[in-house]
Amino acid sequence: MKNRIGVYICHCGGNISDYVDVEKVRQAVEHEEGVVLSKTSMFACSDSNQNEMVNDIKEFGLDGVIVASCSPKLHLTTFRNVTERGDLNKYTYVHANIREQGSWAHSDDTDGATEKAIHLVKAAIAKSRYAEPLYTNQFEAEKTIAVIGGGIAGLKAAISLSDKKSTVILIEKNDKIGGHTAEWGDLFMSDEKGNELINRIYSDLAQRENVTILTGAEVASSKGSIGNFTLKIRKRPNNESDPMEIMEVNVGSVVVATGFDHYVPQKGEFDYMINDNIITLPEFKQLVDKSTGNRLVYKGKEINNIAYIYCVGSRQEDGENTYCSRFCCTSVIHTAIVAKKKFKNINNIHLNRGIRTYGKQELLYSESLELGDIYLQFDYNNPPQIATEGKKTVVTVKDILSAGKELTLETDLIVLVTGMVPRADQSIGTMFKLPKGRDKFFNEIHMKLRPVETVIDGITIAGACQGPKNISESVNSALSAATKSYSYISKGTLETEPIVAEINQDLCVWCGKCQEACPFDAIEKQEVNGKPIAIVNTSVCKGCGMCAPICPEDAINLIGYTSEEIMSMIDVLA
Amino acid sequence: MATKINPAFSKELKKYGTVNMNACYNCGTCTAICSLSTNDESFPREMVRNSVLGLEDEIKSSLKPWECYYCGECTTNCPQEANPGELMMSLRRWLTAKYDWTGLSGLLYKSLPLTILAMAIVFVAVLFFADSVSYNLEQMLHFGHYFEIIAIGIMMVVIFLPNLLTMWYFTIVKTNTKVPFKYYFTALKDLFVNMFTQKRSKDCDEKNNFRWLEHLVLVLSYLSLLFTTVFLNWFATNNVFVIIFGYVVSLLIFMVTIHFVSDRVKKNKSLNKFSQPSDWFFVIWLLLMGITAFLVRLFIDIDLLESNKWMYIIHLTVLAQWAIIIVPFGKWTHFLYRSFGMYFAKLKSIKGTK
Repeated sequence: MKNRIGVYICHCGGNISDYVDVEKVRQAVEHEEGVVLSKTSMFACSDSNQNEMVNDIKEFGLDGVIVASCSPKLHLTTFRNVTERGDLNKYTYVHANIREQGSWAHSDDTDGATEKAIHLVKAAIAKSRYAEPLYTNQFEAEKTIAVIGGGIAGLKAAISLSDKKSTVILIEKNDKIGGHTAEWGDLFMSDEKGNELINRIYSDLAQRENVTILTGAEVASSKGSIGNFTLKIRKRPNNESDPMEIMEVNVGSVVVATGFDHYVPQKGEFDYMINDNIITLPEFKQLVDKSTGNRLVYKGKEINNIAYIYCVGSRQEDGENTYCSRFCCTSVIHTAIVAKKKFKNINNIHLNRGIRTYGKQELLYSESLELGDIYLQFDYNNPPQIATEGKKTVVTVKDILSAGKELTLETDLIVLVTGMVPRADQSIGTMFKLPKGRDKFFNEIHMKLRPVETVIDGITIAGACQGPKNISESVNSALSAATKSYSYISKGTLETEPIVAEINQDLCVWCGKCQEACPFDAIEKQEVNGKPIAIVNTSVCKGCGMCAPICPEDAINLIGYTSEEIMSMIDVLA
Repeated sequence: MATKINPAFSKELKKYGTVNMNACYNCGTCTAICSLSTNDESFPREMVRNSVLGLEDEIKSSLKPWECYYCGECTTNCPQEANPGELMMSLRRWLTAKYDWTGLSGLLYKSLPLTILAMAIVFVAVLFFADSVSYNLEQMLHFGHYFEIIAIGIMMVVIFLPNLLTMWYFTIVKTNTKVPFKYYFTALKDLFVNMFTQKRSKDCDEKNNFRWLEHLVLVLSYLSLLFTTVFLNWFATNNVFVIIFGYVVSLLIFMVTIHFVSDRVKKNKSLNKFSQPSDWFFVIWLLLMGITAFLVRLFIDIDLLESNKWMYIIHLTVLAQWAIIIVPFGKWTHFLYRSFGMYFAKLKSIKGTK
């Protein structure tokens, strides 16, 4: 039992104190059992207050510290470190959230907010009395890193890891590396074509001794966790009659860079596959790249007027793909400019829903305008109508920029500007249990703060498997993911949080309910002393607590959140 | 009815002087900054849009190009440097070409060599005439006096009347505007007020008051000089008042146009940054009109003209080029069409379009 507890109540500038009477909270808790010190602070997280806390711990011989402030997501680590600097075990620190759960949530009821804050702080004090010191687990980590996917993201991640002297295994499903980038012709802001770029990177990679490139290879299964993954790889043999080559590799971390699929319009979507003069953006890019001569010819017919219909398969208000595919505006404008410069008598007419050529890509938009490309803007609910009049394909559109006037244009070719969709083959995501966002792409932990990490420790995501990206954005995320993956294992040893589930071996009778509840696959059935019981893999367990309450035998304790601690908190709150 | 877009139109319009019009990304800054644009009659973005899309019928039936007085604010503030002001100017040129049944306006606007050729032909014709009367000064002066009356009369009936009817047809008849007959009379006040004072341009921008005044002085001086030479026979009169009046107005023409020309050379404002040949011809010939008329009368008064007949031949050449080419087919027509544009706009505002 702790009996020298210090309590700090934060104003958060006014974020808390505008609605919660912090002084009243302090007075309400200062005489609680075990509390020897209680203070308020304008900003508890400020350097000066942190130093004051360290001094207080030493001066008053505190054995428990509580800060009542913002969400623990923001400053739990900050104050744990403060207690550590005061020579306390940092896991004895208890955090009370009176901002998100107090002042912000009840800004309409200051008395109620104050009352709630008092209860929350008292509950924290109750927990603090029972808080035990905890210690991290350490184990050795494998220093090889696997990169899954040999597109531009995977290749750049491999190069980055190789530069860091890490051993890299690059696994590509197709027989050739390069992914979608190898399909592209001319690239924006580069003199290279897509395949030239890939060849250059490949010849660099091929020379590196610490990089193994496996093409025609798929990851069949994965076992283990951060630091020690065992991947089973099936590699198609060079000779078709040979059996599949199966190999196992041990890696410490995995960069997933499985990329995207092109959206393929359904038959009849904007007359696709009904009218011969309608193709998709990737098909058009191929056409422009492969065509020679000074006229653009498609199916034996010279092409002059090209209409581009934007956002096909993206930004659907009533479909599955509600997101913007980001790259398509830039890609199509770039290709339209290339076509106009390469061939004679090309008129580009862009039927868009707003142009998103952000950053330097705006230069392309300007160039295209100055070259005389015409932009018509339509509303999602008034899409362009396509009709065939004799040999001509006529598009009718209500142009927002002309006050909704109905305009028609005769076209020789219609390009459906298709976006990116998640891979149809989701086997890698399923295997690693990677969470997916609303857009069905893999999800990072935090878009801005932790953009390449997944909730699965040791697995990072790079490139367009995470969401639509252009080449440079894919490369940026690949370099970031490579660095993050490397940082997990660079020390050779790994630490895991002590807050994990703990099985009481005597009480456990193995019913399997905890294994079903575990979202991280951290619980396995094992025989101990002739009895099947649940065993927790502490390097995989995230301490989420899902298993503890459903155990019928009450055999599971979450370290740091023992029944004792939680029940005492509930007693105070009730 | 759906309207067909015509990507080739912007190339045609370029020959009339558009500068970077296609760069427009429809932000609407030009319309927002224009002090003449209103909610009901909004421009110039709408006209830029119609031009980019090549909606010729929409432009032909519109009076908006005439409602713009080119203060240049839109061009100064355009974030894309798409020069909406110059586009409106180019549309005025294009429209005068469309109104003109002879088709000469369009040819002269689009081709500088053709314009020079036409000017040269008139010059040669004047020389032939002078030769045919054996350079007899009296006969030349006599002819010159009547030439003006006749030229004005012919141009009115043969060129301007049909062209104004075409304009009326495009903007009133084809847009199904039903205007009761009597309004054509009640709105006449607007026609003349705008024709002589261009009062609407005062709404452009306060800074432009001086320009408006200059313009007003120029218009009144020009009309006065016309009146003085044609009806008061300035070159032959002995009336001291008329003589002095002629001097004053020709001097005013000369001074104002000098200022206009120097501004165009300096390109110090948006509105004179891009000068088409038609702009140069208009302002320079107006200048020459003023200066040669002034000198001819001066030569008469100091008894030099008899020994310097070439002075009158030059004046007659300038006059003939002005009356036969610039007035009917050049920028002078803007003066007329703009006045009628305001007149028709008034008619439309009375009834509104269907």
